[in-house]
Amino acid sequence: MILRLVERTAVLLVSLAVSSVLVFGFLAVLPGDPARVALGVNASDEAVAELRRQFGLDRALTTQYVDWLTGLLHGDFGTSYISKAEIGPQITDRFQVTLWLVVTGMVIALLVAAPAGTVMAARHRKLSGLALSAFSQVGVAVPAFLAGILLIMLFAVKLGWLPANGWTPPAEDPGMFLRQLILPALSLGLVQGAVLTRYVRSAVLDVLREDYLRTARAKGLRPFPALWRHGLRNAAVPVVTVLGLQLATLLIGAVVVERVFVIPGLGSLLLDGVSNRDLLLVQDVVMVLVVAVLVVNFLVDLLYVALDPRLRVSR
Amino acid sequence: MKSYLSPVVALLGSVTLLAAAACSAGSGSSSGSSSPGADQSLAIGLVAEPASLDFTTTDGAAIPQALLGNVYNGLVKQDESGKIVPDLAKSWTISPDRKTYVFTLVDNAKFTNGQPFTADDAVFSIERVKTAWTTSLKSAMDVVQTAKAVSPTELQVTLTKPSNDWLFRMTTRIGAMFSKTGVDKLATEPIGTGPYKFGSWKRGDSIVLQRNDAYWGTKPHFGQVTLKYFKDPTALNNALLTGTINVIGTVQAPEALSQFTSNDKYQVIEGTTNGEVLLSFNNSRPVLSDIRVRSAIRAAIDHKALVETCWAGRGKLIGSMVPPTDPWYEDLTSVTPYDLPKAKSLLQAAGATGKTLRLRLPTLPYATSCGQVVKSQLEQAGLKVQIDQLEFPAAWLTAVLKNADYDMSIIAHVEPRDLGAVFNAKYYTRYDDPTLQQALAAADAGDEATQVSEMKKAARRLSEQAAADWLFLIPNLMVADKDLKGLPKNAITESLDLSTLSR
Amino acid sequence: MSADLGPVGHAVGGRRRWNPSLLVGGFIVALIAVVALVSFVWTPYDATLVDPAGRLASPSWTHWLGTDKFGRDILSQLMVGSRTTLFVGLVAVGVAAVIGVPLGIFAAMTRRWSSELVMRANDLLLAFPALLLAIMFGAVFGASTTTAMVAIGIATIPSFVRVIRSGGMQVMRTEYVLAARAAGRRPFPIAIRHVLPNVVSLITVQASVSFAIAVLAEAALSFLGYGTPPPTPSWGRMLQESQEFLFSAPRLAVFPGLAIAVAVLGFNLLGDGLRDHFDPKLEDRR
Repeated sequence: MILRLVERTAVLLVSLAVSSVLVFGFLAVLPGDPARVALGVNASDEAVAELRRQFGLDRALTTQYVDWLTGLLHGDFGTSYISKAEIGPQITDRFQVTLWLVVTGMVIALLVAAPAGTVMAARHRKLSGLALSAFSQVGVAVPAFLAGILLIMLFAVKLGWLPANGWTPPAEDPGMFLRQLILPALSLGLVQGAVLTRYVRSAVLDVLREDYLRTARAKGLRPFPALWRHGLRNAAVPVVTVLGLQLATLLIGAVVVERVFVIPGLGSLLLDGVSNRDLLLVQDVVMVLVVAVLVVNFLVDLLYVALDPRLRVSR
Repeated sequence: MKSYLSPVVALLGSVTLLAAAACSAGSGSSSGSSSPGADQSLAIGLVAEPASLDFTTTDGAAIPQALLGNVYNGLVKQDESGKIVPDLAKSWTISPDRKTYVFTLVDNAKFTNGQPFTADDAVFSIERVKTAWTTSLKSAMDVVQTAKAVSPTELQVTLTKPSNDWLFRMTTRIGAMFSKTGVDKLATEPIGTGPYKFGSWKRGDSIVLQRNDAYWGTKPHFGQVTLKYFKDPTALNNALLTGTINVIGTVQAPEALSQFTSNDKYQVIEGTTNGEVLLSFNNSRPVLSDIRVRSAIRAAIDHKALVETCWAGRGKLIGSMVPPTDPWYEDLTSVTPYDLPKAKSLLQAAGATGKTLRLRLPTLPYATSCGQVVKSQLEQAGLKVQIDQLEFPAAWLTAVLKNADYDMSIIAHVEPRDLGAVFNAKYYTRYDDPTLQQALAAADAGDEATQVSEMKKAARRLSEQAAADWLFLIPNLMVADKDLKGLPKNAITESLDLSTLSR
Repeated sequence: MSADLGPVGHAVGGRRRWNPSLLVGGFIVALIAVVALVSFVWTPYDATLVDPAGRLASPSWTHWLGTDKFGRDILSQLMVGSRTTLFVGLVAVGVAAVIGVPLGIFAAMTRRWSSELVMRANDLLLAFPALLLAIMFGAVFGASTTTAMVAIGIATIPSFVRVIRSGGMQVMRTEYVLAARAAGRRPFPIAIRHVLPNVVSLITVQASVSFAIAVLAEAALSFLGYGTPPPTPSWGRMLQESQEFLFSAPRLAVFPGLAIAVAVLGFNLLGDGLRDHFDPKLEDRR
């Protein structure tokens, strides 16, 4: 267990280092001189050169890379070339927004998927199971932004129950925060829930085939109680893995929903950065997203070990 | 002459531009306006968010839209009819040789950092354009020889040559008055003398302006105004429908307007802007340097059908580079009317039938939309059109505006009086025409009547030479709560004047 | 309540048989392919022909699904759009398979650090989801169908590597591979002769599922403006363009929305069906 932890940590650190080089290298080749973009197209070459010097863009790439990385390690994300504002606070701010959205979405997904998937597995030959199965197939096929547009049309514009878009920080107005969170979280959660349902179903089916569950049933336990007592912990292992992966990809995947609901999240920050050629900002946001995915996967890995006793001894 | 030659990156804003619902005067008084409602607030939905708050170093129409006239004052401003009227300057005189201007300044204006506004600040602001500004607009100040403070309330500016254009440019962001001690953090904490002071900026979301209680003029009605930015036109509409905002500063999805016109909770305002939507030509390309080809393209486009298709029929047809609010406006749509057979024969004569032209579109709603109609119509006349999309702003600016690596493009030029800036050999239109330049120089130097007649000549010349095609003029389309007063019919300045709004 | 716990003592069927998922999925995918092929030789109208006079027409005998704001025939656009969808899916899945399958087999066959390296690199690639890659590529190379396809393709590599590796490891433990190795066969011939043919079914299944994901990704990218540029018809962009008509003409959103959903459904069902078909033991599991 300890060995595994050490090994995993080492892998995480190497992955972080490699990805930082990748992200930096990729953006170094991005066409469009940030200094020229910042100054406008008709700026003089001298002015551009001066600004490049101010930004430190005239230094060797390796120096720039080391500076950038050292800054990141100290929590200093630098100052935007375009808006001249500190990038760190912006990222923290946007990250929180996206995190609220994604986590709420995932909770909804889980609330939908866990019961639906279990029923689908336990009744997989019955009409109810098949109907749920068909329903989840359709859910998987709907793009999240389409779901969002439909929800807005129905609940915001037609019925007027909830705001169509916008974002209020929870500290500012908790009521408004919740009202504005519901629809976007639902559009993420329902679609992701449909995806997750399929994994829950197959995980539960696997568990149902295990000997200990058959024994439990042979002892006279009825199917759902048997599953409840013995199966869920084991079914949770693969589901947690998928959950982790979904969470990670949703940090950027939520950008589409953010766009539909005008939510100032991390993905929107990235899109704005790209269209303004705010390179340092783009570089920082991409790096944060990548780090988030790697860390989440690392944690899932550890959780995996914690949940599955059999894995504790292996390796 | 110089100021005309210097290219102005007007359109930076164009995203923007649509947003550029600039209000000038238009006073409204209501029960509430007699005693400004301290807690009354207003939220306005706009399209393009500024990249920075510093328009001295960052291009784009979104910054002056939010700040000019609200946070910053100029010496002079433009009223809704296009006339230049007093702002921080109570009055001014022009010497007989038209080179020396003496401004008498108000004596009770204060910056929001507590400093009084004096002629020294005006001198500082004018000189700073030449020294510290980095945007290309700064060239409008090149014509200034000296600026000096005669007394705290008297400013004297001497030009190197007579220029009608200079005083006009002073109504734009170039003329914004800064505090000598308040320019350290322009990008994040702007300081001015205006009716509003900068409150906060939630990046990616909104800018909040607070009423400036120490304002020297009539205090505005609303205590707080939020400018909320929407990338998606549909989301903008929904925000008004569900009461998140009170005004759509500029309608980006005109097709969806019917949901407001049919609802008596809202008022729809329709007027004109300075935004000429150009089908621009690279006049230096072999095929397009031939006036027959350019004229053929103009004749091949059915403008009425085009604006009907891509902007829901809202938008005036102009036929040259002058909006109806300029004194020298003439309807020039009849210079090259829609005539498909003529277009075909012109192309035949020029040997251009079957040639391929590259139409490089910025990723803006009107450009994407109209580009597809242009392609279809030109192909009926016998040209081949290859569309590609460039991300706006960065990619389009570099490829088309800077490098002129294009045959045709579509962009709205939103700068006021930008005819001379857009059509010259150095700008991306690569339009080299001494006859035009002569007319422009004469207009700049002459008296009012000369200016009008020479500008008319210039506009007609452009249209006859088919230096570009003018698809239509972006309309000023606003939707607002029914009881909101003081919204301008025409949006012809760079600023969105919030001080005139009331309930 | 008598829930059937299912396959208690379920016989391992040796016979490969057709199942509903395979039939329905196969039918949908075949239909899309046929429509795409037909669109090369015939569409009711030129899909990009702008006709201002006939804009926003309701469905009728002349235009079965009506026209859009440019007066373009929606049915024709959907037909040509199916080409874009298939093209994006094919290239994306192709890129992923061409890179992912050899890497997966390699990782399955080598036991030492090289295998570990491939898998760690694979995990690293997981940190760059399709949307993120497409936005980054779009910034560098400009938004186009090609950049979208390649980005989606690269982001799909890890799933291929994982699946093929685990399948490949099973094959490596079979008797004939052990025999071949004992007989001194070199790794490359073993990979081609034994491993690859035995993971073909896995590749097919994975390709089908990835195809569905690619279709969704293309739609999302087109919605953000990083996908197929006009005037090439694309279902995702049709959906995006329909937004301002949600009140006046919702059908403009309905048809492309349905097309996307049905296509994704088709490829998912096909993937499920293929899995069951190739591996009847798993019939109930999907």
